Amino acid sequence: MYPVPRKPTAQSSVGRRLSSRSKAFTLFAICATVTLVNCSPGLQTQGTVTVVDEIGRTIRVPVHPKRIVSLAPSVTEMLFALGLNDRIVGVTSYCDYPPEATEKERVGDTLRPGVERIIGLRSDLVVASTSSQVEQFVYRLEQAGVPVYASNPRSVDDVLESLIKLGGITGREGRAKELTREFRSRLDTVARQIDAADRPRVLFLLGVGPLITIGRHTFIDDIINRAGGESVTKDLETDYPQYSFESAVASRPEVIFLQSGDTDLPNRLKQTPAGVSGRVYHLDDALLLRPGPRVIDGVEKMAACLHPQLFPESVGNNR
Amino acid sequence: MARARLTPRRMVIMLGTLLVVLIVLLLAACTIGSEHIPLADVARTVGAKLFGSQNEVSRENSIIILAIRLPRVLLAIVVGAALSSAGAAYQALLRNPLADPYILGVSTGAAVGAITATLVVGSSPLIRPAAGFSGALVTIAVVYALGEGRRGSISERLVLAGVIVNALLSSVVIFMVTAAAGTRQRSVLSWLIGDLGAEWTLIPFVAVLVGIGIAVIYANARSLNLMMTGEEEASALGVEVRRAKIAVYLAASLITGAAVAVSGVIGFVGLIIPHAVRLAGGSDNRLVIPASALAGGAFLLISDTVARTIIAPRELHIGVITAFIGAPFFIVLLRRTT
Repeated sequence: MYPVPRKPTAQSSVGRRLSSRSKAFTLFAICATVTLVNCSPGLQTQGTVTVVDEIGRTIRVPVHPKRIVSLAPSVTEMLFALGLNDRIVGVTSYCDYPPEATEKERVGDTLRPGVERIIGLRSDLVVASTSSQVEQFVYRLEQAGVPVYASNPRSVDDVLESLIKLGGITGREGRAKELTREFRSRLDTVARQIDAADRPRVLFLLGVGPLITIGRHTFIDDIINRAGGESVTKDLETDYPQYSFESAVASRPEVIFLQSGDTDLPNRLKQTPAGVSGRVYHLDDALLLRPGPRVIDGVEKMAACLHPQLFPESVGNNR
Repeated sequence: MARARLTPRRMVIMLGTLLVVLIVLLLAACTIGSEHIPLADVARTVGAKLFGSQNEVSRENSIIILAIRLPRVLLAIVVGAALSSAGAAYQALLRNPLADPYILGVSTGAAVGAITATLVVGSSPLIRPAAGFSGALVTIAVVYALGEGRRGSISERLVLAGVIVNALLSSVVIFMVTAAAGTRQRSVLSWLIGDLGAEWTLIPFVAVLVGIGIAVIYANARSLNLMMTGEEEASALGVEVRRAKIAVYLAASLITGAAVAVSGVIGFVGLIIPHAVRLAGGSDNRLVIPASALAGGAFLLISDTVARTIIAPRELHIGVITAFIGAPFFIVLLRRTT
């Protein structure tokens, strides 16, 4: 049986269609927020405004929420990047960056947050990160009167978009614009440098017993492209499939990325071009697996691994 | 399922047929996979490796055949043979048609042993099967003790004891693998529903252990036949019941432990294959044991080939396929016996 190459289908999922349509609404909503704030500066805490979140749900959030709970490490990093340190009251047990995040109250983990704890914190905005659907806890929170904004970045562009939206809701538009401008220019710099270079074939492994790799709709696929590589599994529709060793060998990867931690390249992949040349890297998972602001660092680090001749000053932790 | 007496002729015909089927399947499985490789290329690659002749097959295909597919295909046969003959042995020993290393919890016990060994001593190809053996042995002793009612073993009691021990041990597996996340430990799913993707290093020792175990069970096949009618009757006929029981328990636990140590827990193979063999050839253990080994190897080879090709280049865990076939079979058996 041959692996049948799948035809690329243009943005097929309902969720994606929804979120792109909702962008216009969100912009409108942000304008509405700004207008409201400008007209009545004294009402900042009392007023609410309607926004559409990144999976197309319409929610009412306070104008300039004061007690924000983050339900994902990526969201925490975004909120801190926006300079909202004083207004974050709760984070998850996975939120370890920036270091200040570890001093915040813990509300459980991403998939099973403590709803009672969040309500007890008198939170006026919960920001969740969801890749597929809104979890059950969201409804329980909303019944308790706590608005939940779902951020849903599926690409590097989405992260920048998400920063702008979160900046809008929290009244940090200026900071959000400044950050995205900086990030865009860093991404452009990388893009210019790798523009003419050959794109090495990359195998990205999230697990080795058995092999777990990445599909075309994942965040990591986008990072690999931006860093000047080409994922050998870019035709897979599933996000994080179990992958056959045979196909991994047949795809002749020139560079292999492994998750950080105590994992070595499996013997069966040692005769691949990457295994022979030793171009096997461990990158910091937090830079690649979290759709937050540090993903820009992730792109730069990966570009340095893929194109050492173009980025001589950076050193990947080659093993 | 008592049939006409087992004649040497019937035995040769049945075992011969199974052997031919197994060889044909082996050749087929070598060419089928997420990458299709013609049989001629397989033969050339293996020939080049064995006799050092020239090999014009592409480098990638050579690696796939020698380093990935061949060990996997051979391991499927070894593990299938091990679990099926262990199942046949447990069914005869416990006089229980529902006995099988998976349902009795023995496989999961072996997994606990093997995982403990990898965590404590590291993944040595010798220690892991040995630790799997101890895990299997302890588990069968516990299940047997729990299942033994005041008036001897009753089918349901024994199966119930197996289910409970299995549930407990599964959570031990999940706990140990999760707690050890980030080490070289393979995934929880691979341990609990099986994964035959192994490297060469583990295979020879396991194959030898399984071979020895099956030989020991086969050597006791006559005693098992007599014991199936009742242990007192068997000892009246001159069977050393205690010695035979201990030998077969040890051997069945040894091969289960060795198989699970490399492949994880694969369910239902040990249940359905011995029954299928008895349906086809009668319940004389001198036939059931070797025929189960051959048929089990063939069955697991088919299941694994399906698991690695049905959604290629992605893969399924092997246990998904065996449970899909085995669970309905188990229900039919359960309804027939109660």
